[in-house]
Amino acid sequence: MPEFEKALAEKDFVVTVELDPPRGVDLKPLQELAAALGSRIDAVVLSANRAAKARMNPLLAAQALAQQGSEVILTLTCRDYNRLALASDLLAAKAAGVNNLLLVSGDHVTLGDQPEAKPVYDLDSTQALQMAVQMAQGRDMAGQEMEPVSFFLGAAAAPRANPLAPQVFRLHKKTEAGASFFITQPLSDLEQLKNFVQQIKSLETKVIAGVEAASPEDLEAAANLCREIKASKLAAGVHLSAPDHQDSLTALLDKCGL
Amino acid sequence: MIVAERKPFDELVDSIKDFRRVLIVGCGTCVAVCLAGGEKEAGLLAAEFDIAAQIADRDQSFAVACVERQCDREFLDELNAKVPHYDALLSLACGAGIQFLAEKFPDKPVLAGVNTTFIGVNEDVGLWAEKCRACRNCVLTMTGGICPVALCPKGLLNGPCGGMTDGRCETDPERECAWVAIYQRLEHLGRLDNIRPIAPPRAYGRAGLPGRQVHAAYERRYRANA
Repeated sequence: MPEFEKALAEKDFVVTVELDPPRGVDLKPLQELAAALGSRIDAVVLSANRAAKARMNPLLAAQALAQQGSEVILTLTCRDYNRLALASDLLAAKAAGVNNLLLVSGDHVTLGDQPEAKPVYDLDSTQALQMAVQMAQGRDMAGQEMEPVSFFLGAAAAPRANPLAPQVFRLHKKTEAGASFFITQPLSDLEQLKNFVQQIKSLETKVIAGVEAASPEDLEAAANLCREIKASKLAAGVHLSAPDHQDSLTALLDKCGL
Repeated sequence: MIVAERKPFDELVDSIKDFRRVLIVGCGTCVAVCLAGGEKEAGLLAAEFDIAAQIADRDQSFAVACVERQCDREFLDELNAKVPHYDALLSLACGAGIQFLAEKFPDKPVLAGVNTTFIGVNEDVGLWAEKCRACRNCVLTMTGGICPVALCPKGLLNGPCGGMTDGRCETDPERECAWVAIYQRLEHLGRLDNIRPIAPPRAYGRAGLPGRQVHAAYERRYRANA
């Protein structure tokens, strides 16, 4: 059982953080940050060209972090990969020591730094989850035999969606497809989480609530929300992000008391 | 219908710069309806070209011909007598018509006068909207008559993505989220069960290949010729 799956099953409250691979070739700062976060967190979620901006392939970063003992959740996006490339990355991820995946459709390329790129979306995230499950059973999407490769599977959820019902509908499908946990988009307040959890209460999928410090000035507010979430027992954990200032994450953990 | 828009004038002027006598070939069907390449637009373009050539002191002449449909051989035959008198043909038909014209007249340079934009509908006067991607595997029965392949920029088949905001698409706040529309329509019709099963991935293998379709009644004819 992957460490993260165990943590999610056994702990009252897990902590994941989102880390971006470098927009360059030096992995050292990322490795140092992951080492500094150490056992204060249960897993590092490595993003994949977050916000449709090109960065180093997270697979390589995942391998580096896995080698130094970090528990990694690797994000794979349907925006950048067709089913052939996704299958290929699943195999590579396993070989790199990754045991957890976050399968997402991915922000559209028009929002990113190369808006004229061809968006792939050969599969959607639900279908990608199905593919991962099939590969765990030793078959590719076309039904051909291959060496089984299994992961603890997660998906993204959007509690802020308005209307929420179509999103909830989709989360049922993601669960059916094989998602064992949801990492939510950043929440604005506890009310959102309350409402969301109420709407998906028939699902067994664990919810890890997203908390983002958009800028270094937002650490305090993010920490407050994090503490509220923990106290509310509404979620299985928090997913902390500090996009473009991820070095602040250790300070955020301090403030959260985690 | 197929919707197109005229290419920018400067691009068109550049594309005809090597030719002295240019025949502008309009098409009387889809591109005429969307005011991009019918007889009127062809005549207007010829007049604009004339003025531009005069200003630039270029020795060029332009004429106009319009056929009912450039995607049909029998209509293209009407051009047989005219075409030899010109150095190039500028087609205002959709991409299909332009290619058929080129195929019909292998000795003449054929230039594109419009950008073919989409298969769509006439929403209002002078306003067209895309509705179909011709994906060869219609999901509209499942999705309540609203196409996620054409209307969701990600072509998702299992519901809205996390980028939807207040019912709008993450790529454009002016655009309605196709999946919210699908969900609400099916809910209204009491048919949400349509989209409850996980939709399988689309079959793209054939979709990437040039299409060819034979009507059942003509199968023998084309098999005999193959």
